[in-house]
Amino acid sequence: MGENKKKRYGMVIDLRRCVGCMSCQVTCKVENNVPFDDFRARVNIAERGTYPDVKRFFLPTLCNHCEEPPCVEVCPVGASYKREDGVVLVHEDRCIGCGYCIEACPYNARYLDPNLHVAQKCTFCVERIDNGLPPACVHNCMGKARIFGDLNDPESEVSKLLNSVPTEVLKPEMGTHPNVFYIMADFNGAVKKEG
Amino acid sequence: MELNRRNFLKATGAVAAGAAVGGLVSGRGLLGLKEASADEMAKVKNGLAAYQKVYTTDVMCPAECGLEMWVKDGRLEKIYGNNADPMNGGACCAKGAAGVQLVYSPERIKTPLIRTGERGEGKFRKATWDEAIDAIAKKLTEFKQKYGPESVIMDCGDVTDRDPYWRLNFAYGSPNSYEHGSICDVPRRHGPKLIAGGKRFQPDLMRPLLIRQSDGSLKQDKAYLTKLVIYVGWNPYVATRIVYENRGTVAAQVENGCKVIVVDPALSNTAAKADMWLPIRPGTDGDFFGAILRYILENDNPRNPQRRYIDWDFQKFSTGWDEFRTEFSSWWSKNDPINNLPYFSLGWAENRTGISKAKIEEVAHLFGITKPAALVWGMQSPGHHYNGYTGSILGTVLNIITGNFDVPGGVIDTELAKSDKGGNATGKGFNKRQVKRVINGKEVTADQAKLNIDDFGDWPAAWDGVIADNPRRFEQGVELKYGPFRGLKFPLKAYICRTGNTLFTASAPYRWQQALTAKDANGNYKLELMVVIDTPYLESALYADVILPEASYAERMSLSDIYPSHPVLSMRDQVIKPLHESKNPVEIMNLLAKRLYELGDKDIKPSDFWEKYKSEEDFVNEMLAVAPGRANLGEPLPYPNFPEGYKLIGTPDSLEQGRVTIDHDKKTVKGEPVTVAWMRKHQAVAVWPMSYHRYRKFDATKGEYVPSGGFLGTDSKLFEFHFKRYDGYNKLIDEAGVVPPGLQEIGMQHYPPSFFWFETKWNPYTNPKYKDYAKEYPFQLIAGRIHQTMSATQMIPLLGQTPAEGLWAPLNEEFQYDILEGNPKVPEGMSLRTHKFKKGTWSVGTIAINAADAAQYGIRTGDLMVVQNPLGKEIRGKAAVTEGIRPGVLKIGFGSGGRFSSGLGATFKQKDYTPLHNTLVDPAAMSPIMGFPSFADMVVKIKKAEG
Repeated sequence: MGENKKKRYGMVIDLRRCVGCMSCQVTCKVENNVPFDDFRARVNIAERGTYPDVKRFFLPTLCNHCEEPPCVEVCPVGASYKREDGVVLVHEDRCIGCGYCIEACPYNARYLDPNLHVAQKCTFCVERIDNGLPPACVHNCMGKARIFGDLNDPESEVSKLLNSVPTEVLKPEMGTHPNVFYIMADFNGAVKKEG
Repeated sequence: MELNRRNFLKATGAVAAGAAVGGLVSGRGLLGLKEASADEMAKVKNGLAAYQKVYTTDVMCPAECGLEMWVKDGRLEKIYGNNADPMNGGACCAKGAAGVQLVYSPERIKTPLIRTGERGEGKFRKATWDEAIDAIAKKLTEFKQKYGPESVIMDCGDVTDRDPYWRLNFAYGSPNSYEHGSICDVPRRHGPKLIAGGKRFQPDLMRPLLIRQSDGSLKQDKAYLTKLVIYVGWNPYVATRIVYENRGTVAAQVENGCKVIVVDPALSNTAAKADMWLPIRPGTDGDFFGAILRYILENDNPRNPQRRYIDWDFQKFSTGWDEFRTEFSSWWSKNDPINNLPYFSLGWAENRTGISKAKIEEVAHLFGITKPAALVWGMQSPGHHYNGYTGSILGTVLNIITGNFDVPGGVIDTELAKSDKGGNATGKGFNKRQVKRVINGKEVTADQAKLNIDDFGDWPAAWDGVIADNPRRFEQGVELKYGPFRGLKFPLKAYICRTGNTLFTASAPYRWQQALTAKDANGNYKLELMVVIDTPYLESALYADVILPEASYAERMSLSDIYPSHPVLSMRDQVIKPLHESKNPVEIMNLLAKRLYELGDKDIKPSDFWEKYKSEEDFVNEMLAVAPGRANLGEPLPYPNFPEGYKLIGTPDSLEQGRVTIDHDKKTVKGEPVTVAWMRKHQAVAVWPMSYHRYRKFDATKGEYVPSGGFLGTDSKLFEFHFKRYDGYNKLIDEAGVVPPGLQEIGMQHYPPSFFWFETKWNPYTNPKYKDYAKEYPFQLIAGRIHQTMSATQMIPLLGQTPAEGLWAPLNEEFQYDILEGNPKVPEGMSLRTHKFKKGTWSVGTIAINAADAAQYGIRTGDLMVVQNPLGKEIRGKAAVTEGIRPGVLKIGFGSGGRFSSGLGATFKQKDYTPLHNTLVDPAAMSPIMGFPSFADMVVKIKKAEG
């Protein structure tokens, strides 16, 4: 327990290395027995441009384990909570399946499990990380594009990346302060400032 | 138009500038913070303890990644990549991770089956193993007596775990055994085989690399050195064969500034991540290479650093270069009838490839000047074209003369680098048996190998076998034309199809259907026995007389067939007990061998089968005994304490610690043999050190590098630009006085001594013979592999949620099906349920078509279209309209649609509106040297389907 207090988990997704293989999406489903129509992790694909100047983009998403999680705020029974190490979880026994949190999440990261009738979401594979293993999607990532670790440890790979490469987060205007950061696919190595 | 990813993300409102660099964690976010309950923590902490971890390898695609499988109460529940395997470096793709749905698929073949209806009807009854084995063995015994064992064909469509079956067939007396290699990109491998004696040139992107350091220690080197990779018709991000090219290519880009160029008619995912995408006209990759080679030869200048393209050192290690160059350059002054331009000039290539002169020149210069670089061509380029050999040869030459062969960051011939395996277990020794045949009243004795129906039939240079010519031979029988048994005629009587699905994959299925149902005058099937041995129930099984259920890849043992940069072996282990009534290949081999023996087969000896291999482990131990079997060569020398050039055998640790015997006569260093037990102790992976420049060694007396003699697979151990390998085949032709039909087709009398060129089939833009088709059939049809639709993985429900490249898109109609679905309520975590698939939610095989082309025909995404070829065949499929494909090109995923076996599960339900590409392939267009189906040479016309 003492160890957990010092830790603060986060993830960097290096879009330069994402090859669009969708392993994260499928690995997560199997790891967490996610019902067929629901997802905790997914990869959005978009094609933009006109032949021959056309590009295809991959954007993997998952719960952002926000610093200010709106899902936790709206839970009427205190079932949704944030651990000290930053992982946002649902207490299954307390959840009444009201769906407020599902509505409140700006990232569409939650679903109502049709079997358990409770809200479910990405847990950063809590049972794995608490046993010293990386989340399953990180382990299996084909491009080594997902980097997970302790944001409080300056020597961790995530911290080193965050301190050296510009990153962005999804929907910052929502004020949720995500702990999942993205390195843009066109970032070419030179540290540059926006604007 | 300049479009970057930032624009895209902003446009979709998904991302905006967020966290500042550093200092991310503030005091925010204390809302709702609480301790987990003790119960909850205990659940989390102990949840994983119930699992048993087993290290093994995949077989869902030929990458055969190292896996870590988690088992609970005897049930496979989770699949991850094996961190110890440098091929996949711990990664595991969507397909690999979804393996649980394949292993526990309700569609598996569960018991032996015996046909009750007609072939193709799919009517079977359950049978016992004894009954099924007896039925097969009795027929084989009869055929051997009546027609000779050579009338039996063993086809292990899947290269892995084939050895028990091949062994059985060889021992029975038939040299006619095939594997997946016969219908997978054969022409692509031609150049490396002819010139280097290898098979696959792949970029040096496998990291970490175990390599000797100057202080004598071994280190896992992670640095990427490659500066330029050109992938031509090769899409490692979606068709994962050489799996390290996923993480390796992007890592080289990010960490080493490596530039990636992808040459492909379609915007593959690999092209989408590249620095440059060149949408080439299908079937012109060899043209592109030819223009690059001509440009490099004409513009190379050793004195100008900006034009120093060629590393002339290669000549010291080669033969026949002048001959090759003379023959190649002799074409420069000839004009091509298709465009009246001189061969291999930039203008000629522009006209044929559709890539501008300026771009071709840019790439040629870049490839010449950038070191280290790798030019890689895949199965979707030379691999699947009638004339693919030409591109494969030119690509091989380009890598060698620019000094990129076997150098750090360059290309590695992974066939030459990989560990040896198989040894005596393969049973190849049985083919040396002397056998007698009576031909035209004369008795002839020679070794059994000479009865091979390809090598001594119509395809003397087809060293990988010609599976696609078998329908003809099922109907007409075989006449050997070459070698000691020439003149011998026999019918083909039995076809054992093990884990392949030839009927569907080896060119046009209708051709196979015709041949498998062809009957003689008495109304009996000409091919009297068709056996299918497999785990899933695929189309070929519909035509089987007897079906045997084979244990799935999680239930059987063997070794991976992998292509690393240095010797690596990974072992498939039995993770769970065989499900249903399935049995592993070694058991099936022993059962068949024993029954043949009981029926009086004198060639089958108990000591070669069931007495020798009491378990799979015994078999795998024998396969492992020869590893790594590579010479101690290159820089840095893998084992500086052992003599240079000696063959290394034994575990990595015994070699490293010097627990070896050195035999100076045989030039071997033998440590402790690799065994199943050793592999299990080492995460099922054995890794021996990397070295480069393995084709040369330093001669201290001469003070210079000389050929090492122990790496290249050619007879001379040199790069052979004079194709000496063909000499033996030409000798057969001269002795017999018969020119093989393939050579006749391209107007040759012999296999050519050096550079050669001929045009592909069904290409109106390069072959004048087909020019007239361009107007009526304005589209070229190509196919590509995507990992979701490898044979028998299409039905995996989770992969239907992973669209790819406009070839696999959520365009299903509404349907219901029983699928294995995540269910946290049951202890196994998954349960079989009837699922309602809403329209447009699940991926099915589609036809990618360029947006401008589609607009012209009024076709929109999701519209059903009809595609017709000039041979009167047509298919239907839904359009996936995209900007990411060259106009005038249609692309379909191999095996993605038209699946007509119910064993394909939910994918079977989509058969009427998904495209079966192979129906449009010309079954008569077999590439002339090795008889490979021309999967990507066809022109078609399209229309929107009515109604």
